Amino acid sequence: MSSTDRRETRSCVSCGINIAGTNAAAFKCPECGKQIYRCAKCRKQSNLYECDDCGFTGP
Amino acid sequence: MTENDAQQEGLDAAEEEIDEEPAEGAGPAADPADDVEPVDEQSADADEPAEAESTEEDAGPTLDDDVMSDEEADLLIPVEDYLGAGVHIGTQQKTADMERFIHRVRTDGLYVLDVSKTDGRIRTAADFLSNYNAEQVLVTSSRQYGRFPAEKFAEAVGARARTGRFIPGTLTNPKYDGYIEPDVVVVTDPIGDAQAVKEAITVGIPVIAMCDSNNQTSNVDLVVPTNNKGRKALSVVYWLLANEVLDKRGAEPSYSLEDFESMV
Repeated sequence: MSSTDRRETRSCVSCGINIAGTNAAAFKCPECGKQIYRCAKCRKQSNLYECDDCGFTGP
Repeated sequence: MTENDAQQEGLDAAEEEIDEEPAEGAGPAADPADDVEPVDEQSADADEPAEAESTEEDAGPTLDDDVMSDEEADLLIPVEDYLGAGVHIGTQQKTADMERFIHRVRTDGLYVLDVSKTDGRIRTAADFLSNYNAEQVLVTSSRQYGRFPAEKFAEAVGARARTGRFIPGTLTNPKYDGYIEPDVVVVTDPIGDAQAVKEAITVGIPVIAMCDSNNQTSNVDLVVPTNNKGRKALSVVYWLLANEVLDKRGAEPSYSLEDFESMV
């Protein structure tokens, strides 16, 4: 997988936008461990995120 | 508590129950006897709060009102212990962010946090922290009542703690002597620890925050809803979190609640 392809998979779990730049967060789902990405805007606006696998809703 | 608090009457006086943190440098902290006694929260009415409090102390904490939506929830500690520490007591303000963690509003205007959600989030936060190396976890507390529990938590799980003033550049300025690069930050209060949250955003690491009913969860990735102003409440929450993290790692939790209670 090229680096470009890898970047494309880094989409915000709340809004779906591709993650670029700083201020975004990447972490594993607190419940199931699936990788979660949150964009800077969704973090700032405190938009809810839901894990695709386990349905955990945060923050 | 300040002398002014003693003169408070009416609704505000009920807030004394949660043993709120004194102002910075305000002298000795409140007598432990003033601590939370949520026995009869409904009756802590405006007329005679002092008398109400003295009678509550004799009775001890009881489950006289509902503090959680799921009555059958399996909690880490008995619900009476949560109530005794005042973990469920929020503030007289609420934010939209925290609305989903609020169970009800008391007659005196204080919002009551859902204890079962607090309990669940402590487990979730422990799960989350167990994904990281212990030394890559940073705990911060600028709040006086959170300093000792935060340091104790760091000692228990092997994390790093920054209590008191969070020096700007700690996470962002490599030239600073105290510069560190943690993978996750745990903050006691997003308002008081705003600098830590701000720097965590800059470096793109997740933030776990102890949030009261008046906190906004902006830039927080995992909320632990709790009273973050009470001495006992913070001790209980950090103690439970430390025990859960140690438990997830397979280590034997060797700390008691007394170890996390500061004498300040």
